[in-house]
Amino acid sequence: MEVLHNTLVATALVSTPLLLAAMGGLINRQGGIVNIGLEANMLAGALAAVLVTWQTGNPFLGVLAAALAGTVIALPFSLVITRLGANEIIAGLGLNVLVAGLIGYLLPVALGVYGTFRPAGLQRLPRIDIPFVHDIPWIGPILSGKDPVTYLAWLLVPLIAAFLYRTTPGLRLRAAGSDLEAARAAGISAHRWRDLSTVLAGALAGIGGAQLSIGIVGLFGVGMIAGRGFIALAAFYFGAARPWPTAAAALLFGFFDAAQVRLQGQGIPVQLVQLLPYLVVVVTLTVVAITRARREGGVAVA
Amino acid sequence: MLRVRLSAFLALLVLVLAACGQPAPSPAPTQAGGETPGATSAAALRVAMIIAQGGLGDQSYNDLANEGLTRAEQEFGIEAQRVESPDIVSQGEAVLRQAGTADFDVVIDLEWSTAEALTVIAPEFADTRWTFMNFPVNGDNVTSFVFAEHEGSYLAGALAALVTSDTAIPGINPEKVIGVIGGTKSTGIDKFLVGFIQGARDVDPDVEVLTSYTNDFGDAAKGQQAAEAMFEQGADIVFQVAGGAGLGVIQAAADAGVYAIGVDTDQSSIAPAAVLTSMIKRTDLAVYESVKRAIEGTLSGGETVNLDLAAGGVELGTIHPSVPQEYLDRVDELRQQIVSGQIKVWNVIEQGYPDFLSE
Repeated sequence: MEVLHNTLVATALVSTPLLLAAMGGLINRQGGIVNIGLEANMLAGALAAVLVTWQTGNPFLGVLAAALAGTVIALPFSLVITRLGANEIIAGLGLNVLVAGLIGYLLPVALGVYGTFRPAGLQRLPRIDIPFVHDIPWIGPILSGKDPVTYLAWLLVPLIAAFLYRTTPGLRLRAAGSDLEAARAAGISAHRWRDLSTVLAGALAGIGGAQLSIGIVGLFGVGMIAGRGFIALAAFYFGAARPWPTAAAALLFGFFDAAQVRLQGQGIPVQLVQLLPYLVVVVTLTVVAITRARREGGVAVA
Repeated sequence: MLRVRLSAFLALLVLVLAACGQPAPSPAPTQAGGETPGATSAAALRVAMIIAQGGLGDQSYNDLANEGLTRAEQEFGIEAQRVESPDIVSQGEAVLRQAGTADFDVVIDLEWSTAEALTVIAPEFADTRWTFMNFPVNGDNVTSFVFAEHEGSYLAGALAALVTSDTAIPGINPEKVIGVIGGTKSTGIDKFLVGFIQGARDVDPDVEVLTSYTNDFGDAAKGQQAAEAMFEQGADIVFQVAGGAGLGVIQAAADAGVYAIGVDTDQSSIAPAAVLTSMIKRTDLAVYESVKRAIEGTLSGGETVNLDLAAGGVELGTIHPSVPQEYLDRVDELRQQIVSGQIKVWNVIEQGYPDFLSE
């Protein structure tokens, strides 16, 4: 019970980077692009957040810088796909390699460090105790005491849902994503909406990276994203690019990630415990695929 | 100062921006010359050192090795070159071959992933003497330097077990629980873990040692999570053997007001209040020893040099000032017993797994 409680207390915090990147990915998906480059946006965001926070002493400016860094990287990536017809998967993989390689190369040149940048006394995002909620036994620590970006991320879920399904721009974005020609015929500048969706994805993934670097650990490392961009990809696939199911998936993956480190040393072989988060990803994706195939009928599941 | 920092930061931003529209610059392998002007080259020995991934300036493995080379340069007046490559892992074989072709007397290879390439290349350049770090590589002209990480970890475990029972030390709770976090589940890492556990148990059988693995050497958030999970179970000292992920362990310890134990180099400076000590691996000694033996004519090859506790190959770094002298004395006593052979520390690489750690 205590292990479960501790796991739940950690879940919200470790889910946030996944949640933000997955939300970005789903907007991009709704806008017609499968974004494999979320990892790169997160990495750039993580670095920008550390650099700006270090220079200004203000972690909130760091978060803004992370959003900007994600945007700056996302725009050319999007243009290459929408205007030059590049394959989105190839471009995404290329972006990941390019950004990681570039940062690895520039860190020693510009900052004189290799792999890890950890300025002394780096400010981190504060933790916020929610009044009343904080004092509820058992539940309090699970919900309260997280960083502001975590709360912002959860606030964004209904906002993104409302934007996509209840506003005209949201409708246009989805129209541009679902059928380029039809959207054009309806007078929507489809490419522009697609680019906007990629830029939003970049900004959100960038903020996700910032939460990891200045919300959780307080340093930048070239390997720190460690595949979270791809877990986010799995999350919005699981959620069929809809906000609430995607958020649930991010939370589920975050939960099993937090559980994994806590289940080690409880008598189960380490190798099996470490498989857990990935196993959950594979199983949920399989279940989603099967149920979807059944619902749509006709698709044989061999 | 601020202006310098700011301009470096702006330069970084500009480069990032510029690079978005352009293909990545592909830097050519650089060779940083390391001649010591003014030194009389009595020995006339030509030495090259191949820098491992992470590069010079890593404040860790490579920098420590470089200290050893610098010391050798100053003491013996030799000519040494540092060979850096932006991607040593994939270019390892080519870099080794270049070093062989350049006709160096001694090539010190710091990059562990080039082990296989070295077994092929060393025989091709029979006049060059090659040295390799961390694990044995076969070859008539290859000398390998291995470190007794298990012995150093034993002392770290012993110190942790002594400290965790002393609630007079700030941050220490009444529970006798400590932990060790590895990067991956592998014999190379478990060599540290087993030594640490044995050291703790020998000092106090009642101390419980938690173990876990981050499964990643770069994921600092994972390291921090793993450490927090241990603190939740009552641990107040956690030994990290997880590279970049281990920095998250040190951060977690600093946040929680408890202790971490660093690895490879003296990591006390990262968080002086939260680092109990560090298990240092003296790569500088291995490098210095390579040059010294070459000059003395004893770097013949086909040999594995064991840099153990007795040889000073491993040692504990800066110890936290709140540790009482009596514990330091006890650790020193254990050190003597290992050196004299009275205590045998379990070596996973040679002996397989003991009954207290599952495979």
